[in-house]
Amino acid sequence: MYGEAANKLVQNAKRTQALPHLPPYASELVRSITREVRDLDKDVSNILAPYSGAFNPSAAPETACALLVNHLCMRRNKRCLLAYHRVRSDKLEGYCWEGVDVLESQNVQGGRAGAGGEGAKKDESSLSPEEEEYVRQYSDLLAAYKGQWTDIDLTGSLEPPRDLFIDVRVLKDAGEIQTEYGSITLTKNSQFYVRHGDVERLIAQGYLQRLS
Amino acid sequence: MDIDDLLAEVAVDSTPQETRDLQELTRCWVAERVAPEILPWPKDLMDSVLERIQRQIELVEDQTGNMEPKTNFKLIIIQTELERFKFLVRSFLRARIKKIDAHPLHIKTQHAASLDTLYPLLSSTEHQYLTSHQSLLSSHYSSSFLGQFPASLQRLDDTTGGISMVDKPEEDKAVFVRALRDVGEVFVEGTDRKFEIKRGDVWVVRWSAIRQWAVGTGTGDVELI
Repeated sequence: MYGEAANKLVQNAKRTQALPHLPPYASELVRSITREVRDLDKDVSNILAPYSGAFNPSAAPETACALLVNHLCMRRNKRCLLAYHRVRSDKLEGYCWEGVDVLESQNVQGGRAGAGGEGAKKDESSLSPEEEEYVRQYSDLLAAYKGQWTDIDLTGSLEPPRDLFIDVRVLKDAGEIQTEYGSITLTKNSQFYVRHGDVERLIAQGYLQRLS
Repeated sequence: MDIDDLLAEVAVDSTPQETRDLQELTRCWVAERVAPEILPWPKDLMDSVLERIQRQIELVEDQTGNMEPKTNFKLIIIQTELERFKFLVRSFLRARIKKIDAHPLHIKTQHAASLDTLYPLLSSTEHQYLTSHQSLLSSHYSSSFLGQFPASLQRLDDTTGGISMVDKPEEDKAVFVRALRDVGEVFVEGTDRKFEIKRGDVWVVRWSAIRQWAVGTGTGDVELI
């Protein structure tokens, strides 16, 4: 009661910031905090009910104090919940920008856990359904915004470019790609000297490795 | 007016528009990355830069396939330049998006206030992004937990209870600036510091104290570095 659960949630969020992956959504905690807020709100209306709108704080300081504590706790809980969700959605947005398909990798992970068969539930997604929806919509939004800057390729590398052409090694078969200098077939373990812009996506997706 | 000023005037006039645009873009890019606030959208500059990028891409597409060594070499230079330009613009836009995401509600009100001025804070696409992102976020919050809250606690821009929910960038953050022209006396608010900035000087100052002279937000007498 009184913000204890919210404190746990914020600690969870703090931990999340430093993690490379997204830990499972704390739906149980979120639910109990929401319940707490509703209980507190009920308390407040119960306390205020006998006064019928004519409550004078200076006349009953002890009641006023109880009200104040309840109000502050509700606000604090709200802040903690907002912070927790913000941290997670920021992380998800970061994945969208990097071009990592969160939903896809979630399913793969879930599949692996299921194959392990350690009593793992089938959909072991660390995202809440709302978050999955959010990711989907945010990717759409990002794609729409990116679409207005086709020449620039907004999600491209943020490292200043040095050379136009780079050496790359193929880590996974990626099939044939078209470049201005003809088509190249990317087979595993082969090495190429190609235009950086042509293969940037493939490097980000892990098909190619850049050799320095 | 002394000899330096005269020289400066001559120098500016003899550099072609393209070089000046590049200088301007670099300056904007650096400023955007250092300033704690989002700076007004440099519409004219961006328009001309984007147009030039477009033209160069067309040129490259036109000339590819031409196997003559001389043009081929020229193409490589053009493409390298193109990549660098693209990087500048990309990094610039990403820096802005980052700020927009960090302080959406604050920037939204600021943008609304700047609509009547010559240079609004955001470009129309950025404003679009801001609004749709904000509505996405709030619907995400409300479907996750906020919807079950008592009605009086459901707002995202509440200012009651002594704390405003709208986050602001820290305007007192220190920035490095270089003076392009004489500025004169600068007074740092809240302290008793006063100093004079002359052309070529480099200072570390609070952003709030120097904002009115900075490139982009003010007279353009000092640039951020």
